[in-house]
Amino acid sequence: MGKLTIGCFPGLVGNMSYDFALKLAEAAKDKGHDVDVWLSGNATASIAAGQKHLKDYSTGEQHLTRLMEKGVNFCTCEACSVARGVKKDNSVEGVIWSAMHWYLGSIHGADRVLQIGGE
Amino acid sequence: MKLGVFVSDFELTNDTLDRVGPDGVILVANGVYHAALKTGGNASPLLGKYSSLYALSDDLETRGIDPSTVDSKVKVVDYSGLVDVIFNDFEKIAWL
Amino acid sequence: MGDVNCAFVVQQPQYKGETSRLAITHAISYQTVEILLDDGDTVTPTLNFIGEGVLGLTRNQTAMEKYGITSTENHLMNCCLVDLEVNVCKEDLEKYGIDPATLPDAEEMGADVSINVVPMADIKAKIDAARHVLIF
Repeated sequence: MGKLTIGCFPGLVGNMSYDFALKLAEAAKDKGHDVDVWLSGNATASIAAGQKHLKDYSTGEQHLTRLMEKGVNFCTCEACSVARGVKKDNSVEGVIWSAMHWYLGSIHGADRVLQIGGE
Repeated sequence: MKLGVFVSDFELTNDTLDRVGPDGVILVANGVYHAALKTGGNASPLLGKYSSLYALSDDLETRGIDPSTVDSKVKVVDYSGLVDVIFNDFEKIAWL
Repeated sequence: MGDVNCAFVVQQPQYKGETSRLAITHAISYQTVEILLDDGDTVTPTLNFIGEGVLGLTRNQTAMEKYGITSTENHLMNCCLVDLEVNVCKEDLEKYGIDPATLPDAEEMGADVSINVVPMADIKAKIDAARHVLIF
């Protein structure tokens, strides 16, 4: 088995590129691969705690929690997160907080890297 | 090293895909329309350029497209199959 | 494991969205990744601008004054100061009528490297040689 690192930059609600990133992460984990997901830019809003899971709105919290329970590593860019009003003490538990070099560090050990751009 | 590029849009507004020169293309999101639609009666030029073509079944079905109707050059895979494509068919991957 | 070479490819213009700027800042972070890796392991990016990605790279930007954000010009000078290899597509600069002499330079600040204006064929070679390709 190998390691997949995903750079996930798209915004949270209504952006299916974000949904794709998480579904791919889950599928890879289910097949026994190690998976790291780096959240940057608008994707960092997905780690805010207390998201309301309305129908027709894809949200981060449920998906993140389930994937972390499976062993997917999520790391958020601290600067991007706090810039968007997400605070460490009010974020989804288990998400790593770091800086951009975390992504490059993950890339170093990855067999496959998929950078999914933002907006 | 074999490069696979994910194409997530239908209208390609620039020539980055051509310039990057992948060994294969994986159609996802609105990119699946390349596998399913004919514009002015013509299939997508993408289908003639790359010998390794894949389309994500979830994204076809989300858009109401029956996977059995896509162009025969395109192999339809689900997310599990997509993971195998990523790890077995290509050595590096990128997203457009 | 040694060095892992990555080709960062920027194909969107600067400023409207942040993705193209994040490509630059992420590439610059190669300077500090060693703290997370085993001794001797490194990540070496090349930062490559193609297509509309060559837009918004020239000098005399006023992003800080107008919008309160660090300009791409400053980010590119920082790239030179940290010895990051930056390549800008020659054909695309010509296509858009952009004079390569208008690209930023950090030599006066002590940078040892400059931004390279190179043919697309050279950038393609970087992409082909890279272990990973990240398109922004």
